[in-house]
Amino acid sequence: MTNSPTPPYEPRNVQGMILRGYTHRYSCHMLFTFADRKGATDFIRALLPYVQSAEAWSNKPERMLNIGLTFDGVLTFEPGFKSQFPTEFEAGPWSADSQQSLHDTGPSDPKVWWNATKQAVHCIVHVYGLTAEALGSLVTTVSQAAGTNRVSEILPLKPERGQSGRLEEYAPLENYIHFGYKDGIDNPGLAWPADPAVPTNPVKSDPGDANNFLVGYPGSTFQPGPETGRAGRFAKDGCYNAFRVLYQDVRAFDQFLADTAPMVVAAIGGSEDHAREWLAAKLVGRWRNGSPLVLSPDAPDQATSDKTDFLYKRDDGNALRCPFSAHSRVSNPRDETMLPTGTPVPRLIRRGVPYGAPPVPPDYDGERGLIGIFLCGALAAQFEKLYSWINVNDFSNAYSPGFNTQDALLANRGAAGDRSFTIAMPIGNPIRILSLPQFIVTRGTAYCLLPSMETLRGIAGLLE
Amino acid sequence: MANPLTLYIPIKQDQTTQDAAQAARKHFVSTYTPALDHFGKVHYARFVLIPNHAVPGKILAICVMTSFDGPTNPYLTDFWNDPALREVFAGLAKMALADTSITDYTGFENFINENNLSEIGELYQAYKYTVVQIKADVKYPA
Ligand code: HEM
Repeated sequence: MTNSPTPPYEPRNVQGMILRGYTHRYSCHMLFTFADRKGATDFIRALLPYVQSAEAWSNKPERMLNIGLTFDGVLTFEPGFKSQFPTEFEAGPWSADSQQSLHDTGPSDPKVWWNATKQAVHCIVHVYGLTAEALGSLVTTVSQAAGTNRVSEILPLKPERGQSGRLEEYAPLENYIHFGYKDGIDNPGLAWPADPAVPTNPVKSDPGDANNFLVGYPGSTFQPGPETGRAGRFAKDGCYNAFRVLYQDVRAFDQFLADTAPMVVAAIGGSEDHAREWLAAKLVGRWRNGSPLVLSPDAPDQATSDKTDFLYKRDDGNALRCPFSAHSRVSNPRDETMLPTGTPVPRLIRRGVPYGAPPVPPDYDGERGLIGIFLCGALAAQFEKLYSWINVNDFSNAYSPGFNTQDALLANRGAAGDRSFTIAMPIGNPIRILSLPQFIVTRGTAYCLLPSMETLRGIAGLLE
Repeated sequence: MANPLTLYIPIKQDQTTQDAAQAARKHFVSTYTPALDHFGKVHYARFVLIPNHAVPGKILAICVMTSFDGPTNPYLTDFWNDPALREVFAGLAKMALADTSITDYTGFENFINENNLSEIGELYQAYKYTVVQIKADVKYPA
């Protein structure tokens, strides 16, 4: 990571969730469709007093929100912006090219996203509260503002088992997510490059630097845009959000661990309980408490549970600690040699939270998963590129002889990859699992721009 | 399976542009082989000049046809960040009949997508291997 004391952007012009990981325990992520420009303008204006910027706060706000707009949402305010934003943002995550990376087939088919609603998503409001009451009151305010401005709410989940159908964070899990892992450990440093490169020679900044996430600054290999014209001014200091809701099939996951445990016991000894934990760690590259396998290969260790300072090629080149296709090793291969050589590893700012209560086995029914918030400056060059690697590990010649294994946890097994999973062993044959099951189903995806505070004021009609 | 990209760009009819198009075709393979080799995802690339039947001797359009592995948009930044490849596209945009000035990467990405006549899936391929697999001589069935 490179560092400069004064970045050129103003934190008070950037929406808070981009640069800060909120620790508010309660959140709700509300999807809306606008009916007309006037209603949309009045809706945003009503929410504006609650929008949190990235400026440091002296007192933690009890309740606050951030706003994202899909391209259809942007067009509601600026119909002239067609063909001026990145193609994948305009075309949407269901488009043929995006689907080459995302591979949402079968139960993940875009046709059934958002509980098969026919309505287009225009706007996502991310509401946060320190308490359930604080969250509830702001959700009511947002909902009333929608009602009075012909803005209709989409309920993205089936309202079943007493749930509202809204995307509500399941707060008791705190820093953990379904499948039992600690999450949100490794995120980009968001420093500013010390040597801001000129646009014609952009390969200078660290992929975790903030100029790769905020639109409108030079020196990023990933080229956040648009940079020029009216659209460039509209997008400046914004950031894209690949908002992706993923159902987690805990039944399939637990079953897989139980079914495979005897094979693991045969290889490493010990109990089946231990074998299940060991296997869970091998799927992700971290033990469930967060300890990375590269640093704690034999057992979880509290002292390493938040550690991020390790490399793969240097520290575990033969994957004897962390398997190549482990989720963390695919979604951030760190120092592995890339194809083409010299291309940087894209990073994502992860702000996701779990939804739905965990199951009480043997009853696994019910809706639960991850409200995935993946922030980036370039949806294609960062989010989609990583997603294509998740579905097929073809980005490094270290990964598999056929260049087509898949992320052990996430991949859509319907993609044209090799479903097997190999765990290299220091002594004896590797453990080879022939066919990994499907653990994840996509419930919906929306590509949003989280515009700057100034742009939000502009579309709320407050700058004229 | 690979995907097709067929860039079809009608060009200006003045002599400078016409000469530039001829020169670009002549040097296309030799100039861009190193960059495409390094990129490692393109199976084939052709640079074709489409004759203007209404005005004999003139070129109506340039057509760049490629088949490559995986999605297009995530890898376009690699083209943009490669000075040699960026030059090809800047040259194409300059020759285009439609007034196209590419002022940033977003403009470049839209230029490629808007002039691409092919859709994903519209390609016959006799084999299912990727360029990387073929070059590494991967033997087992994918
Ligand atoms: C329900 C789905 C998912 C689950 C259960 C999951 C789980 C995890 C876990 C347990 C970690 C390790 C802890 C940490 O570093 O924070 C992790 C890391 C990570 N995940 Fe996921 N994840 C999911 C979806 C995704 C998706 C869709 C992406 C990308 C598009 C992604 C990208 C990442 C990245 C970039 C890291 C950090 C790796 C590193 O820097 O070492 N995850 N994930």
